[in-house]
Amino acid sequence: MRKLLTGTSLGMLMIAGAVGAANGADYTPVTDARLANPEPQNWLMTRGNYQGWSYSPLDQINTSNVKNLVPVWSVSTGVDSGHEAPPIVNNGVMFVSTPYSQVLAMDAATGEFLWRYKRKLPDGFSALHNTSRGVGLYGDKVFFPTLDATLVALDAKTGKVAWEAKVADWKDGYYMTMAPLIVKGKVLVGVAGGEFGVRGFVEAFDAETGKSAWKTYTIPAPGEPGSETWEKPDTWKTGGASTWMTGNYDPATNTVYWGTGNGSPWFGDQRPGDNLYTSSTVALDGDTGKIKGHFQYHQNESWDWDAMNAPMLVDIQKNGATTPGLLTPQRNGYLYWLARNSDGSISYVNSEAYVPQNVFKSIDPKTGRPDVDLAHKPGTGKAAQFCPGLWGGKDWPYEAYNPKMNMVFIPSNENHCNNLEGKVEERIPGQWWTGVAIPDFHFSVDTKAGFYGELQAYYVDNGKRAWRDLYANSMNWGSVLATGGDLLFAGGTNDRMFRAYDAKTGEELWHFRSNSGIIAPPSTFEVNGVQYVAVASGYGVDPAFQQSLMADLVGWNADVPQGGVVWVFAVQK
Amino acid sequence: MQDCDLHRLELCRRRAMLGAAMALAPWLIFPARAQNQANDPTSVPPQPGDRLIFLAGPKKGKPIRSDELELGGPQAQAYPADPNGTVRDGTRLNLVIAVRVGSDGLNEETRERSADGVVAYSGVCTHQACPVSMWSKDKKAMVCSCHGSTYDPKDGAEVIFGPAPQPLAALPLKSENGLLIVAGGFVGRVGRQSN
Repeated sequence: MRKLLTGTSLGMLMIAGAVGAANGADYTPVTDARLANPEPQNWLMTRGNYQGWSYSPLDQINTSNVKNLVPVWSVSTGVDSGHEAPPIVNNGVMFVSTPYSQVLAMDAATGEFLWRYKRKLPDGFSALHNTSRGVGLYGDKVFFPTLDATLVALDAKTGKVAWEAKVADWKDGYYMTMAPLIVKGKVLVGVAGGEFGVRGFVEAFDAETGKSAWKTYTIPAPGEPGSETWEKPDTWKTGGASTWMTGNYDPATNTVYWGTGNGSPWFGDQRPGDNLYTSSTVALDGDTGKIKGHFQYHQNESWDWDAMNAPMLVDIQKNGATTPGLLTPQRNGYLYWLARNSDGSISYVNSEAYVPQNVFKSIDPKTGRPDVDLAHKPGTGKAAQFCPGLWGGKDWPYEAYNPKMNMVFIPSNENHCNNLEGKVEERIPGQWWTGVAIPDFHFSVDTKAGFYGELQAYYVDNGKRAWRDLYANSMNWGSVLATGGDLLFAGGTNDRMFRAYDAKTGEELWHFRSNSGIIAPPSTFEVNGVQYVAVASGYGVDPAFQQSLMADLVGWNADVPQGGVVWVFAVQK
Repeated sequence: MQDCDLHRLELCRRRAMLGAAMALAPWLIFPARAQNQANDPTSVPPQPGDRLIFLAGPKKGKPIRSDELELGGPQAQAYPADPNGTVRDGTRLNLVIAVRVGSDGLNEETRERSADGVVAYSGVCTHQACPVSMWSKDKKAMVCSCHGSTYDPKDGAEVIFGPAPQPLAALPLKSENGLLIVAGGFVGRVGRQSN
């Protein structure tokens, strides 16, 4: 299949090369310097910069002209299921990855189709989350983590495979959905599989050769620091702490910040102890992967509240002074302010609930360790209700930070709960192994609340909420893009809308109803002096499953049409 | 196409023979893969005369007897094995689920394929090919472990909830003194199906 496709794509390349600005010959190599200081006209990595801000300084599209935004081109991806990758753009060339492990390359200004990479997935392969959250760029290559846990390097000009590196064995439950993080010539990837009892890790591969440079497990082996937090023998081997979202990076201290998933199985009493480094942020040395520091958001995880999103690198206020910090709205419903210290260690500064949460009675002001209400902690043979439910105050969709306003914008959900009771289950490699089956999730919502999804804006300095927009008839699965034009772009709702907000006031200034529900992060870029906003629309995976539950609970339409389309917008002149 | 590569081998072989003449037809890639796997007895689909082998539990690795399954569910996961004991677990497309539903309320086709009140289906969800390893007590039905697609075992594994587009392929059974024996190949398509 790949040979045939390559032949086809080569033909397309020849056509595209004749007319598009994205002629392979002028592809601009991506360097460390460019990644550290990305040009405003480009979107070189999944969250736009190493700090993870999901922010572009571009301001040609702004609060005064966004009402004139119109689609200028679109392309069908040809696949269904949940599209969760932002369009990545390098000097006029756009790369979008899709479910079923495909990558499409287009001329970013004209939409001319350049090439497609299509992974041949193994017979019998399946993934719990059949998605991709983006590609990484370095040199003249595109780096793509595939669902069957292989890292593939593609020639950015042709889409041909330069090298492949097996990262883990999919038959044991490992798979990959995150975009890679590129650090100093290495391609860093993490793994999904927390529902299957994997042991998480971050691994770095040489961008040129594909050889493994280092591999750091996010659960320590016996004798390693933190291993004492796994009190029951062998639980660490299948203990989770997956690494399924992309990390962020501080070049000044050469420190990578990576988020980790919850524990496996889900019920903490089956793996006594704090279980480092589940539901944590780990700080890794960029050259060696050595763990330099960590912060665990909650211990002995029992709610499926991963801490998978790496915190954003922002300056924060601590004891009246500005200090390098980490800011992160976590799935557990709290917004955290942490200090990133020069030695790589992480200190707790403050936290505030951004949605109502009934599990933490209090949080230790010095350590950040929560005091958990055991009445709301499910266990083996012990049912307990907790709110927000397992999808959390927010799941993986990205918040955004606007440095001009010093505000953070959080796509969140509330008024939902789960009631779980654990069982001891035999682990079958590669199969669901959480201790609770999907029919027993007991997902519930407060039907009198008046809303479920929301977009919230907070001031970073004082933690006060500036505004919020409430969605009465939808959850919110939309990553947010903030821009220098004082705008926010976000989808995320089941009505297929793509919206632009005034970031200062929360006023909706523009919307466009797309082909499907938008759960992919938007990006923005500029070609030949014209600013564009791009987003993939394609509903599926958890939002679709949650929608089907809401159909039963409150009568929403379970059918949000699927099928991927990449949309590119510009201001009509 | 997906059932072609593994579960309709004769058809696939014939297509493969046409390969030289139709080298540009993309579907011919699949028969080539099937031929490789046809040589591996662990990867051929369930054959008449195969036993069903428990994938997990206290009797893991043992052939399933109908009275070892709990009446009324849940299902057991299994792989087929030939009479010599070669387990066909070389591909997850051979994953089978067997559930003892009893003899009441089965539709006619399902009853014909059942033995001792046990029905068997492909254990691979038709939505995204995940294992159908869960059981709904409320619906008395088999549930996919990825997105909750729910299949009615008494009605030919028709989809009664969730995104799956097609029923699970059925696996006809017979009983030899309580030992469950595969009576015929899969009926229907195995693996992920398009809408």
